[in-house]
Amino acid sequence: MSILLKKAIKLSLLPAVLMIAGKFLGLFTLIAVYGIQFNVGNEVTGIFSTQIFLPNIETTLFVNSISDLVMISILGVFTIYMILQTTILQNTKNNPRTIAKVVKFNILKWVTSSTSTFLKIFIWTSFVVISSIIVIINTLQGDTYLWIGITAGVISLLCIWGLMKTFEIETEKIYPSRNKHSYF
Amino acid sequence: MITKNKQSKFKAFFGKVLEPIALGLLALLFIIPSITVINLEPITKNIKKITDILGVTTSSEVIVDLVGGTHEILSIEKIYKDGDDGYIYNALLTKRESDFYSKPILQLRNNSEKDKILTFLGTTLSPTRSEIGLIINDQAYRLQRATGESESIEILLKPKSKYDVYLTVESVVGVQFSEEFEMKIGVR
Repeated sequence: MSILLKKAIKLSLLPAVLMIAGKFLGLFTLIAVYGIQFNVGNEVTGIFSTQIFLPNIETTLFVNSISDLVMISILGVFTIYMILQTTILQNTKNNPRTIAKVVKFNILKWVTSSTSTFLKIFIWTSFVVISSIIVIINTLQGDTYLWIGITAGVISLLCIWGLMKTFEIETEKIYPSRNKHSYF
Repeated sequence: MITKNKQSKFKAFFGKVLEPIALGLLALLFIIPSITVINLEPITKNIKKITDILGVTTSSEVIVDLVGGTHEILSIEKIYKDGDDGYIYNALLTKRESDFYSKPILQLRNNSEKDKILTFLGTTLSPTRSEIGLIINDQAYRLQRATGESESIEILLKPKSKYDVYLTVESVVGVQFSEEFEMKIGVR
C-alpha cells in the first residue's frame, strides 16, 4: 500500500469526525439551549433511515441553518488556519519584510511550528467544499438561510484559493523560479 | 536470505491486495460524513401527534403501546392519536412471497376499573390479494379479505388486563409491490 494513501486515510479521519461533530453539536446545542421539542423517527426509507422531527417550519429552518453554520465554521477555521500558517512561513523565507512583521507580532514560533502539508490542506479543503455543497443545496431548497449559503460559498472559495496558493508554494520548492533562485 | 526475499514478496503482495480496500476506505471517509450530515438535517412534523414506540395514553386509562422492532415484510410502523378516544396505526407492507406472516404490533392495557371496548378497522390503501387479520389473546380475527372487503373487529378489554395484538398477513400469491396499511382503533 502506498505511503500517500496511508497518509491520506490518516489525515481524513479528523475532518470527517469534525464534520459530523459540528453538525451534531450545532443541532443538539440549539435544541438544548432553546428547549426545542424534538422527536427521532424512522419514516424515511433507504439510506436515510432516521430523521429528526421538529415542531414547525421556522424552528426547523433556524436549527438547520445554525447547525450548518457551525459545521462549515469549524472546518473552515481549521483549513484557513493551516493555509495561513503555510503561506506566512513561505513568505518569511522569501521576503525579509515578512520576517520583520512576524517577529513584531511575536508569531515566529507559531509560523515555524507548521506541520501543514499540501495533502493535509487538500483533504481539509475537500471537506470544506463537500460541506459547502450540502449547505448551498439546503439554501437553494429553502432549508437554510441565504446568508449562511453565501458564507459557505465564500469560505469554500477562500479555501480553494488558499489550496492553489499552497500548491504554488509546494511547486516553487521543487522548481524555483529564476528570479527567486538567487535567494538560495 | 530466502526468508527475507519471501517476506518482501509477501509484503508486496499484501500491499497490492490492500490498496483497493484502502482506496474504498478513503472514499468512505468522505461519503459517510456527507450522508450523516444530510441525515442529521431536521424535518418539520407535527410531533405532538406522533408517538412511535413511546406509546399513547388515553384519558380513559387505556394504554396503546407500539411494539416496534424489525420484520421482513412490516416496516415504518407508527401510531397517531385520532380525536379524543381514537388512534390510527400505520405500517408499510413490503413486497413478499406467498406465505403467512405475523408480527406483534401493539400492546393494549386497561388500567381502569371498568370494561373497555376496543374496535379495529384496518385496510390497505391499495387493493391487495392478501388476507389481513389480528390475533388478540390467542383469538384470530379477520380485518380484510383477499378481495379487499374490510371487517370491523370489536374486543372487550377487561379491567387491569394486558393483551398483545399480532398483525397477520396471508398472501396466496406473491406481492411485488409495497402497500400502506392503516388501522383505526376506537376506545369506548
